Amino acid sequence: MGNASCMTSSFLTIDEEKAMPTKTHMKSLALSMMLAFSAGSATAGVTDKDILADHKTNDDVVTNGMGLQAQRFSTLDYINKDTVDDVRVAWAFSLGGEKQKGQETQPMIKDGVMYISGSYSRVWAVDARTGKELWQYEARLPDGIMPCCDVINRGVALYDDLVIFGTLDAKLVALNKDTGKTVWKKTVESYKAGYAITAAPIIVDGKVITGVSGGEFGIVGAVRAYDAKTGNPVWERPTVEGHMGYVWNEGKKVEAGISGGAPGKTWPADLWKHGGAAPWLGGTYDPETNLLFFGTGNPAPWNSHLRPGDNYFSSSRLAINPDNGKIVWHFQTTPHDGWDYDGVNEVVSFNYRENGKTVRAAATADRNGFFYVLNRENGDFIRGFPFVDKITWATGLDEKTGRPIYVEDNRPGNPADSEDGKQGATVVAAPAFLGGKNWMPMAYSKNTGLFYVPTNEWEMDIWNQPTSYKKGAAYLGAGFTIKSIYEDHIGSLRAIDPKTGETVWRHNNFAPLWGGVLATAGGLVFTGNPEGYLMAFDDKTGEVVWEFQTGSGIVGSPVTWEMDGEQYLTVISGWGGAVPLWGGEVAKRVKHLNQGGTVWTFKLPQKYAKN
Amino acid sequence: MVCQARSLEDIQDSGHIIVAVYENYAPYSFQEDGNARGIDVEIAKAIADDLNVELQLLWLAPDETVEDDLRNAIWKGHIIHRTKADLMMRVPYDKAFSQLRDDVGLLVNELVHMFAPYQTESWAVMHSKERMPELTTMNYFAYHKVGAEIDSVPHFYLISSFGGRFKQNTTHYKSIEETVDTLVKGDIDAVMGLRSQMHYHSHKLGSEQYPIASMGFPQMAKQQWDIGMAVHTDFRALAYAIGDVITAMLNDQRLDAIFAQYHAPLQVPKYYSE
Repeated sequence: MGNASCMTSSFLTIDEEKAMPTKTHMKSLALSMMLAFSAGSATAGVTDKDILADHKTNDDVVTNGMGLQAQRFSTLDYINKDTVDDVRVAWAFSLGGEKQKGQETQPMIKDGVMYISGSYSRVWAVDARTGKELWQYEARLPDGIMPCCDVINRGVALYDDLVIFGTLDAKLVALNKDTGKTVWKKTVESYKAGYAITAAPIIVDGKVITGVSGGEFGIVGAVRAYDAKTGNPVWERPTVEGHMGYVWNEGKKVEAGISGGAPGKTWPADLWKHGGAAPWLGGTYDPETNLLFFGTGNPAPWNSHLRPGDNYFSSSRLAINPDNGKIVWHFQTTPHDGWDYDGVNEVVSFNYRENGKTVRAAATADRNGFFYVLNRENGDFIRGFPFVDKITWATGLDEKTGRPIYVEDNRPGNPADSEDGKQGATVVAAPAFLGGKNWMPMAYSKNTGLFYVPTNEWEMDIWNQPTSYKKGAAYLGAGFTIKSIYEDHIGSLRAIDPKTGETVWRHNNFAPLWGGVLATAGGLVFTGNPEGYLMAFDDKTGEVVWEFQTGSGIVGSPVTWEMDGEQYLTVISGWGGAVPLWGGEVAKRVKHLNQGGTVWTFKLPQKYAKN
Repeated sequence: MVCQARSLEDIQDSGHIIVAVYENYAPYSFQEDGNARGIDVEIAKAIADDLNVELQLLWLAPDETVEDDLRNAIWKGHIIHRTKADLMMRVPYDKAFSQLRDDVGLLVNELVHMFAPYQTESWAVMHSKERMPELTTMNYFAYHKVGAEIDSVPHFYLISSFGGRFKQNTTHYKSIEETVDTLVKGDIDAVMGLRSQMHYHSHKLGSEQYPIASMGFPQMAKQQWDIGMAVHTDFRALAYAIGDVITAMLNDQRLDAIFAQYHAPLQVPKYYSE
């Protein structure tokens, strides 16, 4: 195990020999000197204003989602359909070591420094111009951690002079951005009880806000806010009906109302006590309505026959007041889930015009195969439609409420009905539990008005498994296998019109897609695939206009920014995540893929620079 | 500590054997005042003694299923530092389980060899004699409160069998210890769990006050199963040597003595009478 302190810690320095007095180098020299002079007292930190304006400012990326609304849209257009052919590698940076597992991070850039997280709860600061490592932090992880789905991390948050991230042992750690040294550390939950954190925290109004992971029966999901500068708790909001929320008033923990009003309204007996519903993918924020949007995981236990009822607030989207943690509205995508359709996928705020009026909408593409457009002020259902070819568990959504119209025969059977201990009847359900779309974030282009959604076409056999054991004791487990639906593809990047539900174009991919998407004003859509290609698509036609082989599968999210008058593009490559953990046909499609762990940064040649 | 599952020769050359046992799992493997205790720990000690090597324990945090535990303990190793054990205790000895196949026909547990059953396990209910003087059928739970460990077969059985008749009288807890504590506090009248576990706690609390009910569990899919151990599939000679130790322990009553020490009834697997 590595030491918990940073591995290398160097202040920003000027490399005299490289500081040649050409025009652009003069510029970077000046900037470097500025950085160097202020290194001791640190450069200007990230402010609330920077965070609120992130979607408009091109010279930094200080939010996960390239803006709090998480549209993942950049107004940069130096790299466009005409110039993209000339894009080339500026530098590459290896995460090194033997810990080359899934890399799902979205890089952040501020003042010429890139901040990335990697597998096994590691963080790096890298010179964004050269790829030179400035420092590395490695969390000292305890023996007992049991991360369900690879040892990934999805990114850091930046605030003031802090780099804040969540660890596999469910802690929030704040590092000094110049040295990588720990400033504060908070235990969010106990890893011993099965909790972990893999999502990037979000910063709103000086508070760092995080959910928790923990797939096992026995946990209770919660969203928590801390003072970003000190790590002191501000509020805590359980995501399961019946649990008390809290606020901290001058350091004192005060009751702030029970989630859902009272226990047991939508749960039988005392199952609400450990209801699951982990908000494991973090959240987004909309400044126009002052609401946080967090999604929640499936309810526990997995066998839905044991818990008749809607099981609030599992498999839901919650709108939360960032000031006090109150749930303002909720929308449940899969009430009484029986298929493991976590409702965690990101909520993207966007406005559109209809009948001469501006609609403040929110879009989300659920694991269950339906794309939802909601009124983000009150959670009302506007419309919903399938975004994958095959959905077996529901025939559609109720036009008024958006509630699924179930196919009861497609609900996995009750193991209690299998009296003789033999394998129960198998149900074939689509999408598979990994979802029509999983964690990987979609992008919304302000130019085209389309969502670019990384989707997967797969189904699952699911049955009760009487030969299961847990701690040496007989157990009623679920057996499931994921199968592809088509010979030639599982993945499909789709351009979807949120007003009509129409898929304007789609690009099929042999392996399942597992990486985030970026749209730009250059008319391009970027995403990576497990086969290792970073690809650029024409945002109107879906034509692949550029691709680059990164050497390992891409399951991270690309970002773009401007530095020294040039547009940069970055993505992390490193195959892993949940897909390789499941067997069957899907495993066959990906088992030849090599692991990795490299940040690739691209730009156009100097001649395209704008001054 | 070495990080590999090893052959019998390598184990004897090194002078120690690494045995994986579950942590905090009384009466099978747990720590008390800094000492390793429990049925599985005692059996592991006897194996080490007979092989003439020193015992090193690898405490295992249980994952979601035994398949996961076998991966973590025997063939792939710990998720961070890749530590492995030579032998893992309390692995089901069940042909259907060892031959379990995935959807492309590959053996799920092909990298482990399961062998040497040393106990037949089943379910039982312990109850408060004072509040529940009589307990002979499941139907009493229509009138009495019963607790179980979360996400266990007893928990599922109590809330789903007989059309959910006992659902409202069932509560669940994070561990069997917490369930037993609640029984003592008086908030529930009975606890359902593993038979050897129930006997161990019944004796600890006083079996006069907290007896084990003699009752059946109709509609229960799996009434009993055998517990054995596992090694990496490459090391069959190690399994044969350990298998011989277990047979010897059965014949010279050492196994009975270990179970008796923890007040758990030893039901000898059918394997030895066939």
